[in-house]
Amino acid sequence: MRRSFVALLAFATLLVSSAAVSAQQPAGRITGRITGRIVDAATGQGITDAGVQVVGTAIGVLSGVDGRYLVANAPAGTVTLLVKRIGYAQKQITGIFLDAGKTVEQNISMSSAAVTLTASVVTAQAERGTVAEATDQQKSSISVVSTITAEQIAKSPDGDAAQTVKRVSGVTVQDGKYVFVRGLGERYTTSSLNGARVPSPEPERRVVPLDMFPSGLLQTITTTKTFTPDQQGDFSGALVDIKTKEFPARRTGTLQLGSGYASGATGLSHFTATGVGGERFAMVNHDRDMPAVLRSIKDFQRLNLTQADMNLLAGSFRNSWTPTSGTGGPLMNGSASFGGNDPVLFGHRLGYLISGSMSSNTDVKTDHVRALADRGAIKGETIELDKFTGQTVSQGVLWGGLANLSTYFGTGSRISFNGLYNRGADNDARVETGSLTSDGIQAKITRMQYVERAVYSGQLAGEHQITAAQRFDWAATSSGVRRYEPDRSEFVQAIERDTPTSPEVLRWVNGGSGGAVRTFSDLRETNHEYRATYQLDFGPATSQRSIKFGGLYRTTSRDAQSLSFAIAARGLNNADRALSPEQIFDGRFGTATSNIFSVGPLSQGGSYQARDNILAGFAMIETPIGQHIRVIGGARYESDELEVDAFSTLGDPVRTFKLWNDILPSLAVNIKLSETQQFRVSASRTLARPEYRELSPIITRDVVGGENVQGNEGLLRTNVDNLDLRWELYPRQGEVISIALFAKQFHSPIERVYGAGSGGTSFVFYTNAESADNYGVELELRKDLDAFGRFFTPFTFFTNATVMQSQIHLAASTQAAATNLNRRMVGQAPYVLNTGLTYSSRNGASTATVLFNRVGERLTAAGGSPLPDVIEQPRNVMDLSLRFSVTPNVTVRSDIKNFLDTPHAITQGTVVRESYSSGRIIQAGILWRP
Amino acid sequence: MSMFRRFARATTVVAATFVSACNASDSTGPSAPLPVLGLAVTATGSSTARVTFSGRSGESYDIERAEGAAGTFATITTIAALTADATTNYDDRGLTVTTLYRYRVTAIKNGARTPSAETSTTTLAFGSAVARISTDITVSRTLFADTAYTLSGFIHVANGATLTIQAGTTIKGDFETVGSTLMVLRGAKIQAVGTVKAPIVFTSSRAAGSRQPGDWGGLILVGNAPDNRSGTVNVEGTGTSAGTTSGTNYLVQYNGGTVATDNSGTLAYVRVEFGGYAPLQDQEFNSFTFAAIGSGTRASYLESLAGLDDSFEFFGGGFDLDHLVAFETADDMLDMSEGFSGRIQYVIAINTVQLTPRTGAGFYSVDLQGFENDGCNGTGCDLGHGSQPYTIPLVANFTIIGCGQASCMGAGGGYGMMLRRGTGGYYVNGVIARWSTGAVSLRDPFTYTRAGSTATPSETADLQMRNVLFAETNNLAFQAASATQNVLDLTGNNLTLSTATAASLFTAIPAVGSLATSIAAFDFTPTTGSPIASGGLATFTGSIAAKAGTFVTGTSYLGAAAPGGTKWWTGWTNYTRN
Repeated sequence: MRRSFVALLAFATLLVSSAAVSAQQPAGRITGRITGRIVDAATGQGITDAGVQVVGTAIGVLSGVDGRYLVANAPAGTVTLLVKRIGYAQKQITGIFLDAGKTVEQNISMSSAAVTLTASVVTAQAERGTVAEATDQQKSSISVVSTITAEQIAKSPDGDAAQTVKRVSGVTVQDGKYVFVRGLGERYTTSSLNGARVPSPEPERRVVPLDMFPSGLLQTITTTKTFTPDQQGDFSGALVDIKTKEFPARRTGTLQLGSGYASGATGLSHFTATGVGGERFAMVNHDRDMPAVLRSIKDFQRLNLTQADMNLLAGSFRNSWTPTSGTGGPLMNGSASFGGNDPVLFGHRLGYLISGSMSSNTDVKTDHVRALADRGAIKGETIELDKFTGQTVSQGVLWGGLANLSTYFGTGSRISFNGLYNRGADNDARVETGSLTSDGIQAKITRMQYVERAVYSGQLAGEHQITAAQRFDWAATSSGVRRYEPDRSEFVQAIERDTPTSPEVLRWVNGGSGGAVRTFSDLRETNHEYRATYQLDFGPATSQRSIKFGGLYRTTSRDAQSLSFAIAARGLNNADRALSPEQIFDGRFGTATSNIFSVGPLSQGGSYQARDNILAGFAMIETPIGQHIRVIGGARYESDELEVDAFSTLGDPVRTFKLWNDILPSLAVNIKLSETQQFRVSASRTLARPEYRELSPIITRDVVGGENVQGNEGLLRTNVDNLDLRWELYPRQGEVISIALFAKQFHSPIERVYGAGSGGTSFVFYTNAESADNYGVELELRKDLDAFGRFFTPFTFFTNATVMQSQIHLAASTQAAATNLNRRMVGQAPYVLNTGLTYSSRNGASTATVLFNRVGERLTAAGGSPLPDVIEQPRNVMDLSLRFSVTPNVTVRSDIKNFLDTPHAITQGTVVRESYSSGRIIQAGILWRP
Repeated sequence: MSMFRRFARATTVVAATFVSACNASDSTGPSAPLPVLGLAVTATGSSTARVTFSGRSGESYDIERAEGAAGTFATITTIAALTADATTNYDDRGLTVTTLYRYRVTAIKNGARTPSAETSTTTLAFGSAVARISTDITVSRTLFADTAYTLSGFIHVANGATLTIQAGTTIKGDFETVGSTLMVLRGAKIQAVGTVKAPIVFTSSRAAGSRQPGDWGGLILVGNAPDNRSGTVNVEGTGTSAGTTSGTNYLVQYNGGTVATDNSGTLAYVRVEFGGYAPLQDQEFNSFTFAAIGSGTRASYLESLAGLDDSFEFFGGGFDLDHLVAFETADDMLDMSEGFSGRIQYVIAINTVQLTPRTGAGFYSVDLQGFENDGCNGTGCDLGHGSQPYTIPLVANFTIIGCGQASCMGAGGGYGMMLRRGTGGYYVNGVIARWSTGAVSLRDPFTYTRAGSTATPSETADLQMRNVLFAETNNLAFQAASATQNVLDLTGNNLTLSTATAASLFTAIPAVGSLATSIAAFDFTPTTGSPIASGGLATFTGSIAAKAGTFVTGTSYLGAAAPGGTKWWTGWTNYTRN
């Protein structure tokens, strides 16, 4: 296993070094290549048919699809480009330094002639910079968007997309992976990869854990907060689009290696979940599969299993219940990429990028405390119940790769393929001791859980500039996920004393349904999505209008299974109960005369299948009114046909069928107050559909939290009315000040609430609340500090803050009455603050960044009446990050994550429901760009 | 012999007819009625027969019946003079199963009487017909003893309907339709009154000998009496189906009732056997569930046999019960909570082994106790364990015998009485024996508060325990005092931690692990000189007296059986474990 890791590294090194060698080969030439995009400064859209000329030569080209151009043989040296297009002010870019045989990327923005009459001359340096491009994207988009670019990601210590996206205003990240925008529940945030929906690997959620995407593979993460008809309707609150890296303009390769130290884990001895091989690579072998003999039983309830059958079943489980001890290794990460733009296909140029990355870490939650809250004898009082203290050790691995290929046909067509595969695993062990009040037991609980997640996506896309005014884009995407959780184990021992003074003895809780449990879960989903868009520009160049229409068809199929089995034993004496689990299940009680084991299914009916077909069409028009106002309006029609088959052990499969047809209008008005100021107004209707699992009316045991969960086939989809206002000021390139107000009204929002059963039992179910409101203010500021004096010139300060409030209105008549009827929406935090300071050396080669993040008291679950709601307490999180260039090709990085190490705490009233510290992480790495 | 008897009877009949015919013609002349024509008698059930004859205008009739071949005739009913000729039917009820009855009809006109020849029938055996109940019962219905019913699915008696079950009726929970259960919902009633000889039996549809705990669900009664939880609370185990489709396991709310005198019907001589299926993990159905049952309801002579959850569980409400038997319980023998305020006298609960439940039906509890009483727990306990009304039952004359070993009581079990979460209650004249952990646990300070937070509660306290004997309870009367646990004073409450063996207290009880089923092995009568033959609280005072009223009376003995008294647990019960 270790060998294959070495092989992977060697392969990556080989790729990079061959790239380095080949890059040096064409040293004899005296020309170089200039490539890039020409974009509209106001809209950010590519400008086709712009003439690009190398000043002082006869060399010139016309820009093609999406404004892309390539000057293949510009003379080496310092070059000036002149760009012209009817309707736009012409522009000269000076000071492009072009080495012989090399390629330079130069993006150019052009202003409409109606706005700027005079030609302008700018330096290449001024025109460059991806931060500026991002700001432009924010500025030019017709929606309210926030974009984080590869450059910003590189400056942060973030290892994956989830860590990165929390830098966006209004974004909170739960459990390090699930994204909430503006305090809305995760169901109101949609994720896409290169514009196509990513299936969720979670059985009960639609949200995609963004920690599955290593930051090294990311080009941009764009968070869109207002809806336009060309987006999918279940966008509802926000869309997080992850764009993977595109190929570079010139042949290049990178190799990055890093290692780190985690204060709670590295070098310390702790226990480790056992494995069967392959866990370290997220490719576990079949020894964890559900035992064949167990799989063969389709209907436990109607079978008459004999004691011999029971002994066979009890003996069929892998006899591993206890974690082994080990020492935490260092964190490791590495990535390699190789890309270029070469005439590889019989002289036809092909852009390519192949990239791979991997990381592994050990995460130790020390002083991990969890407890339940019970009601006190005084109203509102909370009492701690069933407190457990222990430690959780998680070993994670994440690896993946992408292959992006792209080619042009003529200047009008571009065909690209984006392929991505990511795979990760967490191998967790948790040992805790505490009391089970209801059962009257002091207990030690040992759990081991291994979860493997894989996501793949393949997209073939085309962009066609048919004429200067017509454009046709299409994409066909096939994607899938798998969440595989084979063989989770739970073993409970009672901590007993035979007399009050005798020593404590651990003895197996051999009765009931929870003493020894094994769980096997598997979820697979595949998606096929086809979309096409046609855009026609018309009208005079000074006030060009465009009309855009398109369609989408998406088909999804999901198959989820979860099966749990409990082993109990009758008549076991205290001496036998005191044996270790590995001894108990080593066969000594499974002999022909043994008469103690019984095995039964627990997760009754935890399987379902879903099929979902969405057909959508939209039309929208974008038109200027006068010189300063642009109006974008349109509507989207979506028809969703959904079928969920749930399998219960009680009776026949239950089928839920839903057909929802929706028309979703949207209107956006962008008012350009001045060259540097904009005001936007956007109103739209979006929707949120129930997750598949929520529609199956059977009760199953929640895989994650251990609660009984009942779906509701009568659930309605939620309609959301959105209103956004935003004022933006762009004082200088790269700087932004904006204030946004947002208000949303939800009609029939779906809430996860508690139902109560006799004797204190409870279950979770889903219901449509009457309505909910959500409103708030967002502030964003990014400013260079040179105004404070020369000393501050290299510093950039940025901050974003969101203050928001929501209110959910539940009907008192429903079962939901078991929770507070008037409260915030689940998932809501009252505020989110991100701020940071970046120092950049004059040439941009070395940077230092301090990042700070704080999320207000977030409501994680509604309390069962009369308990207060469950609140995640705010934490101050500070990360430090350093980058400095050792040579032009080598950058060294060093990060300190979670510098303050504030403990995590989730509280309910006065009870701490969960708390732990995750420890500081110090890591260092080296990046080599040959 | 029988041929001779039949001959003799025929002779008698002929002679009698001759004599009566002579008498008629001699004394009253033409006004004497003719004998009835077309007399026929058909057994219509195990306790019913139908008499049919051709009636004539102007005549009234005495229908006479005699039991057995030699019994004497007596008039059972008189049919008033008819106004027109008509075929007349009379349904005779209340007969004994598989018994010969002779009938004759005497025609009466103007005081003249003409008896008919007699004819006879034999009542049918129990369960000789079969029927399946697979839909909810929404109009009143009677189940007859001659029919063996299969309860298939989750059958709700609802919509104000009354389900009447004849004595001797057997209802089998369908093994194939897993979890099959009978639920008598709020507003509906059950009238299930058996007799010692003809109890009403709810059992598994599997053949005797292969029945297991969890084969089917159980009997659930939901009333409209108050409890102490707010919001919406549902019966545990319900709700595996959405909607309210007939025969499916939809959610059944029970809390929030307001009528303390609510009447859910009458149960007498009813057994529930091999129930306890768990539709949801750890949410087994009890053999008997009484949720919010009001004082208009009455229950006596109930047996729970080999159930996979509690034998008798009470959520809120309050009504009177007497003569309960719990045998081979997989969780708690008696479980009262959420403000239950009923009165119970004479309880026998005994476990001897741990049975093997139906595969996939659920598991034996991890905390098997005798009593497990709670104040309030969970969502809707607005004042937590102090929510009101408090759980204050009166339980008198209980004999609670555990299986004697830790290995059959679960890691958290083994107490004869587990009193928790703010429960109160009056527990008098009882015996707690063979509990491997201890006799009583006052689990938390909330419960001790009910006792007035003193080791010798006053006679007005909400929690009192008087005159109870503990034997073979790990030499422990109360779980040891600690920061959260408290003990009651033995002497001050007339509690006895006995050194006698459990077996020595009673005439006969099965040994630990014994699989005895013979009724001779179950004689809970105190032996002569047994410490439980005396020492009872004969006169109640204070809150106990007020609560007891005339329903519960003090006794000079402890436990469920009076020395030399009626062995009330025999005749109608079953001690077969499979």
